[in-house]
Amino acid sequence: MIDIENITKQFPGKVAVRDLTLQVNDGKIFGFLGPNGAGKSTTIKMMTGILPIDQGRITINGSDMAKQPLETKQKIGYVPDRSDVFLRLKGIEYLNYIADVYHVPTEIRKEKINDLTRSFGIQDALNDHILTYSHGMRQKIVVCGVLLHDPEVWILDEPLTGLDPKSSFTLKEMMREHAKKGKTVFFSTHVLEVVEQLCDEVAIINNGQLEFLGDMAEMKRQFKDDENLEKVFLELTQHE
Amino acid sequence: MNKTWRLIRLMLKMQFSMAGKSSGEKIGYLFLLIFAIPFSLFIFYAMDGIIGGLYEVLAPLNNESFILGILFISMFCLFIFISLGSIISSFYFADDIEAFISLPYQPYQIMLGKSAAPFLTLYVTNAAILAPALLIYGGYSDAGVLYYMYAILIWLVTPLLPFVLTAIVIMYLMRFLNLSKNKDRIKIVAGLLTFAFIIGLNIILRLDSGSNQLGEDLGQLFMEQNALLELVTAFFPSAYLSSISLTQPGTLLGFFYLVLLFLMTFGIFFIYLTAGQKLYFKGVLGLSAGSKNHLNEKKVTKHIKQKNVLYMSWMKEMKIMLRTPTFFTQIIVQSLVFPVLFIVIVVFDTGNSSLSAASIEPMLEGTDEKYIVLAMLGFTVFALGINPASISSVSRDGKSWFNHLYMPLQPKTVISSKVLAAFTINLVTLLVISVIALAFINIPAVIVSVWLVLSLITNWVTSVVGTSLDLYMPNLKWTDEREIFKGRMIGILALVIEVVLFGSMILILWKSAFITGLWATTIVLAVLLAVFTFVSHLILKKMIHNHFYSIAS
Repeated sequence: MIDIENITKQFPGKVAVRDLTLQVNDGKIFGFLGPNGAGKSTTIKMMTGILPIDQGRITINGSDMAKQPLETKQKIGYVPDRSDVFLRLKGIEYLNYIADVYHVPTEIRKEKINDLTRSFGIQDALNDHILTYSHGMRQKIVVCGVLLHDPEVWILDEPLTGLDPKSSFTLKEMMREHAKKGKTVFFSTHVLEVVEQLCDEVAIINNGQLEFLGDMAEMKRQFKDDENLEKVFLELTQHE
Repeated sequence: MNKTWRLIRLMLKMQFSMAGKSSGEKIGYLFLLIFAIPFSLFIFYAMDGIIGGLYEVLAPLNNESFILGILFISMFCLFIFISLGSIISSFYFADDIEAFISLPYQPYQIMLGKSAAPFLTLYVTNAAILAPALLIYGGYSDAGVLYYMYAILIWLVTPLLPFVLTAIVIMYLMRFLNLSKNKDRIKIVAGLLTFAFIIGLNIILRLDSGSNQLGEDLGQLFMEQNALLELVTAFFPSAYLSSISLTQPGTLLGFFYLVLLFLMTFGIFFIYLTAGQKLYFKGVLGLSAGSKNHLNEKKVTKHIKQKNVLYMSWMKEMKIMLRTPTFFTQIIVQSLVFPVLFIVIVVFDTGNSSLSAASIEPMLEGTDEKYIVLAMLGFTVFALGINPASISSVSRDGKSWFNHLYMPLQPKTVISSKVLAAFTINLVTLLVISVIALAFINIPAVIVSVWLVLSLITNWVTSVVGTSLDLYMPNLKWTDEREIFKGRMIGILALVIEVVLFGSMILILWKSAFITGLWATTIVLAVLLAVFTFVSHLILKKMIHNHFYSIAS
């Protein structure tokens, strides 16, 4: 469960996130929507410990990110929007490193690495440097690394960008399976179609403030039932 | 032919066009041109000395054709050396190759287009070295008009043969190399070759007893080894043909050799076109092919092992430094330059320098061991230098720094792995100094052991200080790795701290009359270094606390 309580983040001359409160329950897939510069990435960075929180509190399954950072981070699996990580490591070296960081025992990591890389079709390339991977392959290796320790909360920043249709499908299936196991999936995206297909709950953020929070049905009800989500989204963001 | 010619012109235009170049770059080229004038004058005078010296010795024996022989052989080797890099980058590394492959051109046509720019750049060297050398030789031998006519013709074709042969060999080898997967490795090898070249040059200069009479000495050498020279020229038929036809331009033999040279050049050029047609695309098309070391499930399982996080983080740092060409040359090669040069000075110097083994050894006898340890430690501080691995510890991660922040890693672990990596890189330097001290200068093992322990602590302190500095003032926003090492104050700052810290320590002990002998000096040094270590760790801790999470935002 993710609990965000009245968080605020300020940068010089700009309030990036203002008094944001959110709650994402276990077993849910949560879509986080907003235009460019709305505060999505800043929120995610605070949730994952990359940015310090100016005001408010974020807890992940009861652990406070500011007070118990290591314990909290151990519960999270984070897929950043940029997948150019550790480019000079080989795929297999990267996965081993991530598994060491998250203390994944040898037997479990053997099984996980084989399963995950096979389902994403990158097993063949594990002995190559990540530098030689395409954007999609880099994204896949990061997702594989994140899932090695079976995180209680999975946070993904624009995860489907650059993935081929088959891999997009695989990733979406994995997100569903993860939620089915009673875990939490939180992701940001611009692809409204994905939100419609996947999400149990949606939040829309604009100018650092929450504009909408609820499930898909509620969202559609609130903004004229017959309009598609894209129009709703535009309606939400055009007011500002 | 017209189509090929148009392709060549297009590629040359793309390569040398000034369009899109900033005015700063244009001014840069202008300055380069202006600086080239005094530089070429310098080359001219240097060559005049060498050729004059050689001519003086060889002409009385009618052996002056050797001057031209050696000149053409040197040019041949130089052109191969220059062509290697330019051919690989133009033929295989350029981004536009794939765009041309899809056009209706024969492989040899694209190859010719790709050859144009690197081939023409050879003429800069050709104009700077061969042209004045031929003019100088003509001057010494009182040559007639025919010599200069022959010289122009030979000058024109000289770069062709080495260029074409190098290209054929490269094209042949590239069929077996998967370049896209080995780009980094090739760059690293190129860096190492440059390093070897510099060291090799240094050895040659040191072996030379006096450079004033280089020309005459070479002349003597060639006279004594007549047979060897002929043997060498036999491997370079073009050099043989060129030098004979230039020394006897008036004779039928000279003319015949000139014609033979041209026939040979055309023949090789034809082989070049055929080789290009057959080989070029094979190497290029292999660029995006997959790797040969595919992993299957069984092999993957073999690679999977649980390790300590600190060890894995250290390993990651080491691998990144070894595999990134810029880091490899700026950190690994840089840290090797000093110890390797030191070997060259101590081992190869014939005794002129005060640093050679022969002159150090007698100095050691009767000297208080305190001074030996202090001098060696001072030398270590100098050899470790600014420790480029430590002052780039944090900056090396660049925009990927944020990855340390969301992972459940103690900041202490991340930074310790970086300090350890910087420490490891310098171990090579210390090892080289130990071996030289023990094996070549015969410094007693006890002193070397004491020095080694003290140096290890010094190395640790410099690694901690460098990493603290980089944590305090990192450069994470680079787009090219070289920006980490260029135009940053951090290098000078690290050096100043090192000089003030260790320099004053060594100076005070050196001057102090109270502390004498090996053990008293060692104990004082050890205590001082322990204090430095403690203080540097306190500073590092503070830097981690204040900056670890905030430098990326």
